[in-house]
Amino acid sequence: MRPSLDDPRVAIPAESTWYEPAPTPQTERQAEFLSLREGEMFVNMGPQHPSTHGVLRVIIKVNGEKVVDLDPVLGYLHRGVEKLCENADYHQAICYTDPLEYVSSLFCEAAPVAAFEKLMDVDVPRRAQYIRVLTMELNRIASHTLFQGWMALDLGGITPILWAFIERDEIVDMLAALTGQKLLYNYYRIGGVNGDLNHEFMSRLGTWMSRAAAQIDSNLALINENEIFVRRTRGLGVLDAKTALKMGVTGPNLRASGVPFDLRRDRPYLVYPELEFDVPTRDEGDSLARYLVRMDEIKQSIRIIDQVLHEMPDGPVMAKLPRLLRPRPGRAFGAVEGPRGVYGTYAISDGTDQPFRMRIHDPSFVHLQLVGPLTKGNLIADTMAVMASLDPVMGGVDK
Amino acid sequence: MPRIPGAGLVSGMRLTLTRFFQPKRTVMYPEVKPDIAPRNRGRLELVTDEHGTLKCETCFQCAQACPIECIDMGGTDTKGRFAVHWGPAEQYAERREESAMRRSGRTVSDAAAATGATINIAKVDEILEAHDYDPHHMLAILEAIQGAYGYLPVDALKRVSRATGAWYAMVYGTATFYKHLAFEPGVTRSIAVCRCANCLVSGAGSVMGTLSYEFGTEFGRAIPWSNLRLESLPSHLPDAPSPLVVIDGEPQRDLSAKNAASWAAALAGRYAA
Amino acid sequence: MAWNRLTPAGRVLAVLLPVLAIGGALTTALLVAFGGAIAATIGANLPIVRFLVASVVTFLISVPVAFLLIYMEMKIIALMNLRIGPDRIGPAGAVMSVVHGLKVLMKEDYTPPSVDVPVFTLAPVVVYLASFMTLLVIPFAPELTSMGFELGLLYFFAIGGLSVVGLMMAGWSSFNKYSLLGGIRAAAQAISYEIPLTLSVVGIVILTGTLSLPKIVAAQDGSFLDWFIFRQPLAAIIFFIAITAEANRTPFDNAEADQEIVAGFATEYSGMRFGFFFFAEYVNVFIVSALFSAVFLGGSNPPIHIDLNPQILIDLSALGIGLPLIAGIAPVLGTLLFAAPIWFASSRIKGWQALVAGFLIFGGVSTAAVGIWAFVMLPPVASLIWFLIKTFALVFTFVWMRGTLPRARIDQLMGFAWKWLLPASLLNIFATAFAVLIAGR
Repeated sequence: MRPSLDDPRVAIPAESTWYEPAPTPQTERQAEFLSLREGEMFVNMGPQHPSTHGVLRVIIKVNGEKVVDLDPVLGYLHRGVEKLCENADYHQAICYTDPLEYVSSLFCEAAPVAAFEKLMDVDVPRRAQYIRVLTMELNRIASHTLFQGWMALDLGGITPILWAFIERDEIVDMLAALTGQKLLYNYYRIGGVNGDLNHEFMSRLGTWMSRAAAQIDSNLALINENEIFVRRTRGLGVLDAKTALKMGVTGPNLRASGVPFDLRRDRPYLVYPELEFDVPTRDEGDSLARYLVRMDEIKQSIRIIDQVLHEMPDGPVMAKLPRLLRPRPGRAFGAVEGPRGVYGTYAISDGTDQPFRMRIHDPSFVHLQLVGPLTKGNLIADTMAVMASLDPVMGGVDK
Repeated sequence: MPRIPGAGLVSGMRLTLTRFFQPKRTVMYPEVKPDIAPRNRGRLELVTDEHGTLKCETCFQCAQACPIECIDMGGTDTKGRFAVHWGPAEQYAERREESAMRRSGRTVSDAAAATGATINIAKVDEILEAHDYDPHHMLAILEAIQGAYGYLPVDALKRVSRATGAWYAMVYGTATFYKHLAFEPGVTRSIAVCRCANCLVSGAGSVMGTLSYEFGTEFGRAIPWSNLRLESLPSHLPDAPSPLVVIDGEPQRDLSAKNAASWAAALAGRYAA
Repeated sequence: MAWNRLTPAGRVLAVLLPVLAIGGALTTALLVAFGGAIAATIGANLPIVRFLVASVVTFLISVPVAFLLIYMEMKIIALMNLRIGPDRIGPAGAVMSVVHGLKVLMKEDYTPPSVDVPVFTLAPVVVYLASFMTLLVIPFAPELTSMGFELGLLYFFAIGGLSVVGLMMAGWSSFNKYSLLGGIRAAAQAISYEIPLTLSVVGIVILTGTLSLPKIVAAQDGSFLDWFIFRQPLAAIIFFIAITAEANRTPFDNAEADQEIVAGFATEYSGMRFGFFFFAEYVNVFIVSALFSAVFLGGSNPPIHIDLNPQILIDLSALGIGLPLIAGIAPVLGTLLFAAPIWFASSRIKGWQALVAGFLIFGGVSTAAVGIWAFVMLPPVASLIWFLIKTFALVFTFVWMRGTLPRARIDQLMGFAWKWLLPASLLNIFATAFAVLIAGR
């Protein structure tokens, strides 16, 4: 039965204050955060807020417009994916990891698949490897174009996001023609991929590739040279290489700080060693650099797709495997370079058909820790600019 | 590089103005249906074959395997006796329980197991205790229950599912798979008609119809006045005539499609005596 | 009873008709009895009556203007985003904003507990009042100025500056930190930008020697080279940037930056009270555009004077009783005239379809004809059309900027106002004064 509003347990007494009592601090850091000096106040952003990229809650301590301190609160999207995976067999676990980062879910599948394949010593057919590279790079472009739109939107520009979605829609539609789904593809299997390239996908890819580079360049022209955009992001939230390495930052955020670390080149997997591509880096380490590194990566991805399409071998797309997979007891770590950083999966097998333990490493979680140190001392509006440039996806952060 | 201040703004404005006149990308949804790829997995539907018959065999495997419990199935079993449900508990009142219970294993809920118990459930608990509540001993548990009650009461099955954590459909499947496990009280023997091709050609169909009519029951159900159950035999016995009717594994030799009615009357007479 | 058998419309009529009849009779009787006295009172207090009428008229036109601008914003930004935008309600979705208005009207007008109720309620009123009061001095045409008084420009800045009081009231009374930040941002921004805004027109005041908007417009009479945008380009740029900030438009819409402070001062508002903020914003856009076109784009002056000197003068009064006859018979004849070729063109077209098409074509053609006639023959109409063309071109520019530019940060915004716009506007004043001193006298 729904409680009535007259119920004394529900009704708020008239004399009560509308301020929630501050929680008792548990740690030194919390005590420091909760103590307000003259002129300071807390502003709570999220979990329902227009620009927190999902259900992130950020408590900001502000002095006027200046952010004095900042505390991200996570866990609003926690689903216990790791535990769910441990209760599913190896095939089913892949589809649980899919919605971790819904913006680029092929990478979330690729990491556990890589770990499981190492666990079972499976040789993936070369055609399947090429298809994986092709689809992953497409997904990377889709993710980065969306990032561009969000970045502009968080800075107040409303047009780029819609142009970005046009590009993303085309990629997502062609992946849907290949995999059967638009968002959570569930396409990689242990030992290959689910289904060969089909005509629908190839024709869509062909039309898109013929104009993709020019179209994306044209879209970028709107804000890349925009003085307001550049002024707001240049020199904002500078992350130096040393801190970045200490914090475990990976991906474009690390490369924007001048560390040319790319898993595709430094720990090669699939057929990346045979492909030719650059690893774009910038030295500034600010929000603009993080943005520009991603935009350069789009161009490299188009280059990789071009090579993959020219060198695609024939053959099977799935290795011959027993239906029930029971790997030997052991442990394996698989990692791929995603659009946000290194996606890793560490799996332990105890000889049954279910992973005994599965640990998922998600780059967004690491990057979200940077929001505090990078935003302190800036303005409220800069919190959005920094957060957008770090590009966290809350599905992956909360797991 | 020295730039004119505001040049970037102006070039951006020019770009938006050119886009203003470009063709639009909106898909006018209700009028224009989106182009869905043939490989799309987004829609669940029951597939029919070229004769228009449903291909689904109601094997429940899709619902069992669905990791996120989005497939659910429900209905009565092939013998029309019990409602069998598979799917999220929210859909079925008898299985409504906390989400955590549902996630930990899809057993019969407390509420469903408690209602309508017409038998003394203590004996089931003793049997379960003796078998250490181990779902791997399901056949032994069910045989013991059959020994204790003479048949398998539905409440006992629910209790077993509830206590062992085995899914109800599994318990039910085990119970229906073995012929010596019965669901009706007092049924110890079975009378079975073979449905192999040879028997059907030599008149098993009319025998089945006649027996069903004469005994006043349907196939799969107990005959009201006896401890017999009318069943169909999955395969033919060696060295047996056609059409073949078997009572407790013994082939009946003096039976044909023509004298089935009188044979049934004779059997009823023998039982009445 | 007969009452029960009436339809709802019939009941309304049954009440209304006697009331109207009695009211009409009473009014007539009163007018006959005291008409002279009333006329004398009105005549004696003509400015007050004029002010009241002008206020009511401006208030009434402000709402359709807001609807039109909201529709323009939705549609133009949609087209720039490669979307179609509103297209379901009305032709090309033109009634969409009216439906939005109705929706806002029907929503619950919720007052959150713990707000400062009187201030919370008054804030949207103040904001809207400040907006439409400034409409009073806009010189739509030389003959169409509500209140063309001598201190028009000063009045405009004074009353326009009042809206920030409303925003502050909303921000403070809402008891919400986002609202507070929004209100403070609005106040800071408005105060900063009002100084360059006011100083930028001082050059024009020096040149024209008046603060009256109709006189400033009249001073730009001539070809388009006489417009102040060409005589005072620096002032025009400063003025444009400053009015963008005054109207809280992108890239200076910090007061309601939805990515940062949700909806700024309007966060806690709902229903029609939110609607007032919303309408006020768009009325503001129209007003600042109108002001810019009046001060810098020559207002109601055409770009080039073409003396058409219309020779064909039809004296309608010469037709006498024939005029109503022609007015009655012309639509029928015109409809038939346009319907006939359509009907003959294809056998598949039914008669009624041809008639409808003919009527529509006749309507379009006759409206265009009347419009052209009015443009040529009636100077106020021509002036009004020129004024509206310029104003809506500016409105388009504002919407265009909204579709293109990201938002400036609040400190960059303030720095820009104080470090660049203020010195530039002072420089403009000195340069103008110097030039006037050297060249003029």
